Amino acid sequence: MKEQQKINIPGIILKVVIAWMILAFIVYPAVYLLGNVFYHDGQVSTEVFGKVFSSRRAMQSLWNSFVLAVTLVVTVNIVGTLCVLFTEYWEIRGAKVLKLAYMSSLVYGGVVLVSGYKYVYGEKGLLTKLLLQVFPQMNPSWFIGYGAVVFVMTFACTQNHMMFLKNAIHSLDYHTIEAAKNMGSSGGEILFKIVMPVLKPTFFAITILTFLTGLGAMAAPVIIGGENFQTINPMIITFSRSTYSREVAAFLAIILGVATILLLSVFSRIEKGGNYISVSKTKAKLTKQKIQNPLLNVLAHVTAYVMFAIYTVPIVLVVLYSFCDSLTIKTGELTAASFTLDNYKKLFTSAEAIEPYIVSIVYSVLAAVLAAAVSIICVRFVQKSKSKLTVLFEYGALIPWLLPSTLIALGLTVAYGDKNPLIFNKVLVGTTVILLIGYTVIKLPFSYRMIKAAFFSLDGDLEEAAKCMGAGAFTTMRKVILPVIFPMVMSVVILNFNGLLSDYDMSVFLYHPLLQPLGIVIKAASDESASVDARAMSFVYTVVLMILSSIALYFGQGSGMDKIRKIRQKRLERRVIKN
Amino acid sequence: MINFKNIEIKYGDFTAIENLNLTIADGEFFTFLGPSGCGKTTTLRALVGFLNPTGGEILVDGKNILEVPVEKRGIGMVFQSYALFPTMTVYENLAFGLKVKKMSKSEIDQKVKNVAKVIEIKDSQLVRNVSELSGGQQQRVALARAIVLEPKILCLDEPLSNLDAKLRIGLRGELKKLQKNLGITTLYVTHDQEEALMLSDKIAVFNNGYVEQVGTPQEIYNRSGSEFVCDFIGDINKLGKGVIGEINRQANGRLDTAKHAYIRLELIHFAPGEGRVSLKGEIMDYDYNGLITKYRVRVGKEVLRVIQLNDAGASFQHGQQIQLYLNPKDIMQF
Repeated sequence: MKEQQKINIPGIILKVVIAWMILAFIVYPAVYLLGNVFYHDGQVSTEVFGKVFSSRRAMQSLWNSFVLAVTLVVTVNIVGTLCVLFTEYWEIRGAKVLKLAYMSSLVYGGVVLVSGYKYVYGEKGLLTKLLLQVFPQMNPSWFIGYGAVVFVMTFACTQNHMMFLKNAIHSLDYHTIEAAKNMGSSGGEILFKIVMPVLKPTFFAITILTFLTGLGAMAAPVIIGGENFQTINPMIITFSRSTYSREVAAFLAIILGVATILLLSVFSRIEKGGNYISVSKTKAKLTKQKIQNPLLNVLAHVTAYVMFAIYTVPIVLVVLYSFCDSLTIKTGELTAASFTLDNYKKLFTSAEAIEPYIVSIVYSVLAAVLAAAVSIICVRFVQKSKSKLTVLFEYGALIPWLLPSTLIALGLTVAYGDKNPLIFNKVLVGTTVILLIGYTVIKLPFSYRMIKAAFFSLDGDLEEAAKCMGAGAFTTMRKVILPVIFPMVMSVVILNFNGLLSDYDMSVFLYHPLLQPLGIVIKAASDESASVDARAMSFVYTVVLMILSSIALYFGQGSGMDKIRKIRQKRLERRVIKN
Repeated sequence: MINFKNIEIKYGDFTAIENLNLTIADGEFFTFLGPSGCGKTTTLRALVGFLNPTGGEILVDGKNILEVPVEKRGIGMVFQSYALFPTMTVYENLAFGLKVKKMSKSEIDQKVKNVAKVIEIKDSQLVRNVSELSGGQQQRVALARAIVLEPKILCLDEPLSNLDAKLRIGLRGELKKLQKNLGITTLYVTHDQEEALMLSDKIAVFNNGYVEQVGTPQEIYNRSGSEFVCDFIGDINKLGKGVIGEINRQANGRLDTAKHAYIRLELIHFAPGEGRVSLKGEIMDYDYNGLITKYRVRVGKEVLRVIQLNDAGASFQHGQQIQLYLNPKDIMQF
């Protein structure tokens, strides 16, 4: 078929700009890093292997990461599955309250969560103080190392279960469970022989994501890993600080990257295979199952509420301490006189106190919006262009998904530590913009995937209808397409904003010393050397952060968007009737 | 006037339309009729501008519109899916094209309300979101949105196919009346031959990228131009060798035995008449639907279907021996 030959100059300029962004900030830094590690003085070099294998710390960190990943696969699956079973499958009293607690990791994660756990179980933590009263010989620094990291990460990494496994369980056809009961199966048999097998693909997918999380763990090993349990990412931070060992840091990042690529390709295969939940044309909704055995029922309730306590105590303490004076925070002795609003007053009246918030909010909003905008443009190119080269935009947008954030961060710092013609002979390291670039890059794949799904689910006739009525490409995009996909775009922006607010993994490499984001400040406050004031402010930061995240999630995932739509609708109605 | 001249449309190696030549007069209700995949929607989309033919010209009032972009052709289109903008109200959907033309608010308001009156969209419906409307209401909005821009040509791509049977029949009548009142040249695509016969001034019957016949509904139905058209339109009996032989025996070899022969169900009678030959038959079974009874009659080794209007005349029973009468002039041969 003949195509109308019309040169779209703005489109070409846009393509060039996006291609440059992908090349300069995604492809080039990764390739440069590889070159930096494996290519010296004009030839391939394997010197880095010697450096890594001869470094006890590097080898230990690789082993620790692997051990942590394998351990977490077991522990997170057990705890995560129990969370879902307690809230969605079994009849447990207070399930709604339990659900709130188990889902808290959606608004309270990363360095913020680990710091919270440290306030409970750490050397000066509430629980440690209680235990020391009972066992005075106990080592106050007991919550450090492999066990502590596994414990914290187990309860921090169950959000995949609460999202994906929960949805999968709700997709079950209840008739299959009824059929099994009808044939005499017990509750346990039904769970293990009917329910679990159907959920296998979901479990596989979550297992891979959990393994990757374990491999790439940062906050927990940094804060509570101690000297003897450091994993790859903290080691990358340590090694990247010196020019001699930077190569080792880069190599470790590459190993992490290769592992990520391999595991994600397996994950992709599972995703493409689909979820085999039900063949039924008329599915019945799941009804909660009663645990018939009284002893098991009691055990289930006790376990559920112990887990509830583990999830909520750190949050409750953080909230409580945020209202406490410095002395209480230092001694850990809560009394009626401990409470004060001074910390909050300081946040909203002191420029220095509120600065990390402003910094994080500005960076997160900008990065979330930029990632969405770039994704919309890339999807549009891929959707509309017949040229095979356009698919490179898709690959470019998705590459960061395969790369751990430390590798991306390290790539940016290594590639743009000196003047580089690709960025008009500028240096990026030490600037305020490098962190924005890092944030945007890590959020690009998620944005692209979600926005692409939104675009491709659109009725193609809408655009044609607009064209018929005289609308050009830009008017159609602005007035027809974008309004339809707006809810999805907003969801993506809000989720990305939420995820970046307390980011530490990327920030630790790229932050500007004068503009410290929340993740850096909260982590610093959790150090033993931190002042009481710093610690007090970090409690306030955490509470306000949780509120912001909850609000964001309400609009991004909950019924907030529906309410906005209804308000908008009413306003339109009033305007039309008035006319 | 619209002229399709030597139009060819290819998708890679596949030829969807080959050597199409059609003329559509001003104000005509012209239907493209055919089975799925025959090229009727492809031809329509070429006129609107959503695809470019690989060969040929499309002239509108003497001007080749293939060089004109979609948004400048001034052709209104009603889609099968309606393509109403889901985030907008009815009013906003109707006003969309007028806003693109940069009309004033008062002008837009007047035109929208006028077209709403013509298409019978109530004021209270104007402020509702289109997703809150029923299928029939959405169809009206889609039509109104196309008409409000006062296009020279209106194209409708199976606009009634998503509606239930009763609504379809009701809206057909309204569509016909509207087109006559507005006098817009209308191109209508459908696979429903009853719809085509009812609505059209002229019909082009498509088959595998070719136009088999162009004619009025009466010509298409009673004097089908090809075996395909004859079989596609309406219900028809294909006469076998036995029946052809018997007719030739009574009618002095009138029929060409080398060709296939067809006759419409309503042209076989139960009573003799001038020029009619008779065939002996036995009632096998029948379907009664209130208005007519459709009989299946065994004639020798063949089965013919015959319809009888239920005018309180005699009805026949299973196994009954009867005589059928038909006029060889009513037989179409290809």
